[in-house]
Amino acid sequence: MSRPRLSRRSFVTLAGAGSAAAVFGIPAYIPRIGEAADSIKIGLLEPYTGVYAGPAENETHGFEMAADAWNKRGGIMGRKIELVKEDEQNDAGVAAQKARKLINQDKVAALVGTVSSGVSLSVAGVAATTGTLFMDSGGHSDDVTGKSCHWNVFRTCHSTWMETHATGYALQKRFGKKWFFITPDYAYGHSLEAGFKDVLAHNGGSVVGNELTPLGTTDFSSYLTKIDAAKPDLVLVFVQGDDYTNCLKQMNQFGLLKKYPVGGPQVELEPLFGLPPEARGGYWGIEWYYKSEKTLGKNNKVAQQFVADTLKRTGGKPPTARNAFGYITLDRLAQAMNDAKSVDPVKVARAIENVHFTSIFAGSAYYRKEDHQLMWPMWVAKIRPNGTPGDKYDLFDVTDINAAEAVEQTIAQKQAVCKLGYPS
Amino acid sequence: MIEHLGPQLFNGIVLGAFYAIVALGLSLIMNLTGTINMAHGSFMTLAGYLAYSMVLRHVPFGWALILAPLFAVVVGVVVERTLVRPLYKREPFYSLLMTFGLSLMAEEAFRLIWGPNGVPFSPPASLAGAASLGFMQFPTFRIFIVGVLVIAIAALAMFLTRTRFGLRLRAAVQDSEMIAALGTNTQLLYAVNFSLGIFLAGIAGVLAAGMLGLSPTSGNALLMPAFVTVIIGGMGSLFGSIVGGLLVGIAISMTTLFIPAASEVAMYVLMAIVLLVRPRGLFGEEGIFG
Repeated sequence: MSRPRLSRRSFVTLAGAGSAAAVFGIPAYIPRIGEAADSIKIGLLEPYTGVYAGPAENETHGFEMAADAWNKRGGIMGRKIELVKEDEQNDAGVAAQKARKLINQDKVAALVGTVSSGVSLSVAGVAATTGTLFMDSGGHSDDVTGKSCHWNVFRTCHSTWMETHATGYALQKRFGKKWFFITPDYAYGHSLEAGFKDVLAHNGGSVVGNELTPLGTTDFSSYLTKIDAAKPDLVLVFVQGDDYTNCLKQMNQFGLLKKYPVGGPQVELEPLFGLPPEARGGYWGIEWYYKSEKTLGKNNKVAQQFVADTLKRTGGKPPTARNAFGYITLDRLAQAMNDAKSVDPVKVARAIENVHFTSIFAGSAYYRKEDHQLMWPMWVAKIRPNGTPGDKYDLFDVTDINAAEAVEQTIAQKQAVCKLGYPS
Repeated sequence: MIEHLGPQLFNGIVLGAFYAIVALGLSLIMNLTGTINMAHGSFMTLAGYLAYSMVLRHVPFGWALILAPLFAVVVGVVVERTLVRPLYKREPFYSLLMTFGLSLMAEEAFRLIWGPNGVPFSPPASLAGAASLGFMQFPTFRIFIVGVLVIAIAALAMFLTRTRFGLRLRAAVQDSEMIAALGTNTQLLYAVNFSLGIFLAGIAGVLAAGMLGLSPTSGNALLMPAFVTVIIGGMGSLFGSIVGGLLVGIAISMTTLFIPAASEVAMYVLMAIVLLVRPRGLFGEEGIFG
């Protein structure tokens, strides 16, 4: 039996192309949900495939719950909300393509969604050139509401500046001023680094180590062996998603979690659920939590209902900050369209700005007029490795609450970099 | 810097042993049938998840380490018999595309069964601590990993060189037509060979799940370095895969020490150099792939 021979050259080509595709993903298509003649279509872009599929799914639950709630009340101006979902594959290029498709082909009235900052910025770019409204639910880079801000782009989740400043002050108070950073080597990581250095500059302190780790690092051992030599007061971990899981798991295996306090600007429940209890610990910034009066507010019926509805919908999996991002984003967009009695992007944008509202979190908030950042509190929590009796998901003991204005850049600072540029 | 050299070297060897075992599985399958198995990472993830489910049901870790790869092999045999086999006579990219498609389907399947988020999987308490190696504290689990990998590689070498079946396998790599003409059931050889490759991937998958994280995409993250390992070591050479794996591991850990941000690029630079100086790879046999 003869078989075709494989040359080295074609092996290198084939294997290279193939594994690159395996790593970066190939196009997938999520079919559209039902058509409705007079509905208002909203384009939802989320990375349903790839490493952020978990957060994407949770944001989607939030979006759908807000849409259901509005539709049950009769919709916006009597028109139902219809979500048109697309998989942006956590890829800036694909996301731009899908955004154009949603705008040109599906004629959506606005775009919402995204998890990763690079993708958010890419969609914001398309939104800006086409004059479409875009509400970034989950991409944190400062640039979205900073140097790359646009009149038609709003952001719900916190900026990296808010995350670093909320946690920086809280951690310094507890642990001291010699910090060791484990930084993902891309825009998001670098802006976190800059934020924490700003905190150190204000309060005095030093960086005794800063390890730049490529995105997708699986083995952190080489970085971790340097921590012992630096003898820091605190190890700050900036890596996210699967990298976070790998890093913390290995810190535990190297016995570092017992030796040094650990913390970071932000942690999400999704990767924490993927960590064994012994690798969970430290103080972290959190963006919302389903089980604390500090995050939900006292007797907040809307928040309690949201938590209960999500639990019913997911069969017992509690909502995370991602669910909250999705819900708040679409709820506010719908409210603004309803208030403006229009889907015209300029009118809707004006109807979102500086409107104070209460929602599923403690206190009130508003999308700031000058940069379109949602100004809501940022919390810090201590991790409970095993949850609480009867609830294995109850991992956060919320310790600090920071008002948005205290941890975000001032209007003056923002205006120096951000020009919204409304069409005249 | 210098005081880190020893620990980093050791880290590199552990990492390298890992890449080596994944690359060995890839090489086995490729050498005999010319199939570039893009689903190799999926079999690793599959074994990881199976072990996770077993440990959740109180199967001891040691048993899970054997049983999960065996279950993965069962799936592997079905895949080989039904999907890969019809493509043996075609150009290599047919099976490449097929296994690539398979890996995408597998990823979604893992997501459906075990959820889109990672799941917590840790080595047993007896392997959880850190042990002193004299010059550094090193996680017990990593030492265990090196032990298991060394045993697996030694067992494979014994099988290939000391058994009749291993002899036939090696002969079939040289000339499968002749072996078939001499009365050996080559289809059986192919199936056993594929299973061996998957079994190695399975062991690596369970160990990786304990050391790193376990999520639907975790296996594919280890696939790229394994391919680079095969190219550096030289196609057609199993010994090359072992040496290539160690070189890649050490290159990555040494780069991390001196230029951390370049650690991911290190293996590609190494590959480029090897290809320039010795296009067939370090131990690749000229002509084995025509």
